Amino acid sequence: MSAISEPLPYYPRGPALALAALGPVAIGAIMALRSETAAPLLAVPAVVFGVVAATSPALYIASAATGTAPPLSAVVRAFGVALGAFGIALAGLLLPAAFLALSSIDTVMTFAAASAAVGAAAFLGLRRLAHELGAAGKSPYPGAAEIKPSLTVSTVFFVWSAATIGIAGRLWWDLASEVLS
Amino acid sequence: MIGAMDGADLRAAPAREPRSPALIDQLLRDRDAIVARIAAGKDLMTITKTMVATIAITMAIVGAALGSYRGGIQIGYAAIKLPLVLIGTAALSAPALTAIGAALGRRSRLTADLALVITALAYGALLLVACTPLILLGRAVDLSYHQMILSTVAMFSVAGIASLRLVTRALSAETGPGRGSAIIGLCVVFALVGGQLAWSLRPYLLRPRTQEVPFLRETEGSLFDAITGAVRSARGIYTRDSAPLGD
Repeated sequence: MSAISEPLPYYPRGPALALAALGPVAIGAIMALRSETAAPLLAVPAVVFGVVAATSPALYIASAATGTAPPLSAVVRAFGVALGAFGIALAGLLLPAAFLALSSIDTVMTFAAASAAVGAAAFLGLRRLAHELGAAGKSPYPGAAEIKPSLTVSTVFFVWSAATIGIAGRLWWDLASEVLS
Repeated sequence: MIGAMDGADLRAAPAREPRSPALIDQLLRDRDAIVARIAAGKDLMTITKTMVATIAITMAIVGAALGSYRGGIQIGYAAIKLPLVLIGTAALSAPALTAIGAALGRRSRLTADLALVITALAYGALLLVACTPLILLGRAVDLSYHQMILSTVAMFSVAGIASLRLVTRALSAETGPGRGSAIIGLCVVFALVGGQLAWSLRPYLLRPRTQEVPFLRETEGSLFDAITGAVRSARGIYTRDSAPLGD
């Protein structure tokens, strides 16, 4: 899943997950301010967390079916770390996105800035997830063989990522079309 | 005094708090040393304060020079607004650098990243203040308004690239994960935020015949539209019958 499999430094999990929960709400608030409707406040977190909740079991099932899955607890932990990474990245991108969105008169700019912030944070979260799963595969079970990076591992992760991004992108686009129309 | 206290002296005596002129001189002569000082977390408050003051003073000078194209109150307006552009860009960009790196496992350190971004912008501001004679020359030889705008954009682009180069050099020297993405993320955020903030706080240059001098223009269009419009106008291609007289 990732060529790099050394353990990465961790950040406090609680605050990072809190940022992951609040970040999409803040992005929704930016869009709500410009569109003068409250819908994005709920819709943005629903898109982000709904898609992750709906697609994450598929990654474990596909990995396990192809014999490349770390233990379930390690996968759950990897998703937690990746969500935290998403939250931290989104927190850092929130100020620039808010500034770009609110300093322009064009609602398309608001949509572009919000999309870029969420998209970049999601990309970084996916990278972190790939790394964490790769690190977890180093010692999957006591006494079990290492899950080495392979074409199968990469393919499963790539297909799952593409499907997740595709679903989220479609829902995001529908939300934007409704809000900006 | 500046000559007597060069970068080597600063490295040799880390316990002594460096003086501001020495730090500025070190920024011009030995950027690797000041980057190493920031990476080590030494004198971050002193460095940040010195660089903020450097930006405030140098950009006020550059702003005054730009404002002199119109003259009068515009000299003061531009001298106030240009320092705000750079300091605001640093304040909005530094958290992005820290957050993107932290998400990928880079050691999280907002204070050092802020000092690094402010230092890089101070370097760009020093380069811009060195361009002030060119701005005044443009005024002296009666460059047209659009030629003046394009010259200013060129000077600021060079300074921006130099600032980004300093940040990328500093981050490239780090070891560990996350720095590549942090560099790319910072460059994108830096360019977008800096450009938009500068655009939001305009005008800095005004046509000499402008009667009413506004502190800020009303928000309109985008930065990209304005640059392409200026290029067309500088080539003599106009889409309006006459230039606006200002607000």
